[in-house]
Amino acid sequence: MKRTLYITTLAVLLLGSHAAPARLPAQAAPPPAKKASAIQVLMITSDEIKLPAEFQISLYENLIQQLEKQGGFRHVYREGDRNADGAADLVVLHSTVRGFKKGSEMARNVTTVSGKTSIDVHCQFTDKDGKSVLERDLNGKVQFFGGNLRATLDFAKKAAKLAHDNFAANPVS
Amino acid sequence: MVLRTMRRATFCLVGILGFTALPSVAQQPAAGNKVVQVTGLAGVKANTSGNLTLENGSLQFASSAAKVSVPIHSVEDVITENDSQRVFRGTIGTLTMFAPYGSGRFLSLFRSKIDTLTIQFRDTDGGLHGAIFTMALGKADPFKKNLVSQGARTSIPVQDDSGSSNTKPDAAKEKKP
Repeated sequence: MKRTLYITTLAVLLLGSHAAPARLPAQAAPPPAKKASAIQVLMITSDEIKLPAEFQISLYENLIQQLEKQGGFRHVYREGDRNADGAADLVVLHSTVRGFKKGSEMARNVTTVSGKTSIDVHCQFTDKDGKSVLERDLNGKVQFFGGNLRATLDFAKKAAKLAHDNFAANPVS
Repeated sequence: MVLRTMRRATFCLVGILGFTALPSVAQQPAAGNKVVQVTGLAGVKANTSGNLTLENGSLQFASSAAKVSVPIHSVEDVITENDSQRVFRGTIGTLTMFAPYGSGRFLSLFRSKIDTLTIQFRDTDGGLHGAIFTMALGKADPFKKNLVSQGARTSIPVQDDSGSSNTKPDAAKEKKP
């Protein structure tokens, strides 16, 4: 009886391990449109939403920091950087805030369930000529610990990962 | 006996006075504003405490580990706002969340009001930078006035954004680069 159980378990495990790689290609994301060695980050805009200046700056600075941290791009240029003009394969990241809810750190600490801060940002990657190559809506939020600005770090990590996965010329770095 | 007691009391008094006088003497030479650099300055870690001063046409942030200077003429925007923060923050603040009987939650009710100063400036290559500082309540507006008087630009005139961000005029709020 024990032996049968052992064989069955082994068979299930073996089948599972063989089946998993077969399923993976089907779930894989579509191939990236273009690889780039440099990325330029433009200042975050918020035409429809009234975004406090500290959130705007924090989004921008965290985005640049996370892109540099993730690696994969030889250069991460800021808005207005003259050196970006000479970069051949440059991708430009435009970010527009579409939704913003400033929560309360005190409410989060006291109630745990309320006081969430969240930011919805529309990210558009364009090539040097301004042609859109990828568009995605991303969200940054802080639900439990930390100040409200932590939501910007959450967004920056997601955006940097998106850029890295789709455009990084050296994804290993 | 009485003399000895009096002498002891005098020593104690002198000791206490000397001890309390020390911090005030130490605070006097510290010109400028004590601030916390939240993010933005190159080479300075996030949430670093330091001194923010205006010297020789530049905005200088000096902490124990680093000193950063930004030319005032390169500052494109200065915005002040109000915020609040936990009195018990950082590692201790996080640890208080695990304190028994909900005492951590109770402690998080204690908050102090602060001013935030946000600046945007360009580096020598034209790259746009931003930096956020927090400082004691009521310090940001006078600092902004000084900054603007020395050549920094602002999208919101000084007299219009004293107080919270809610008091800003609509035209000022609409400004985004």
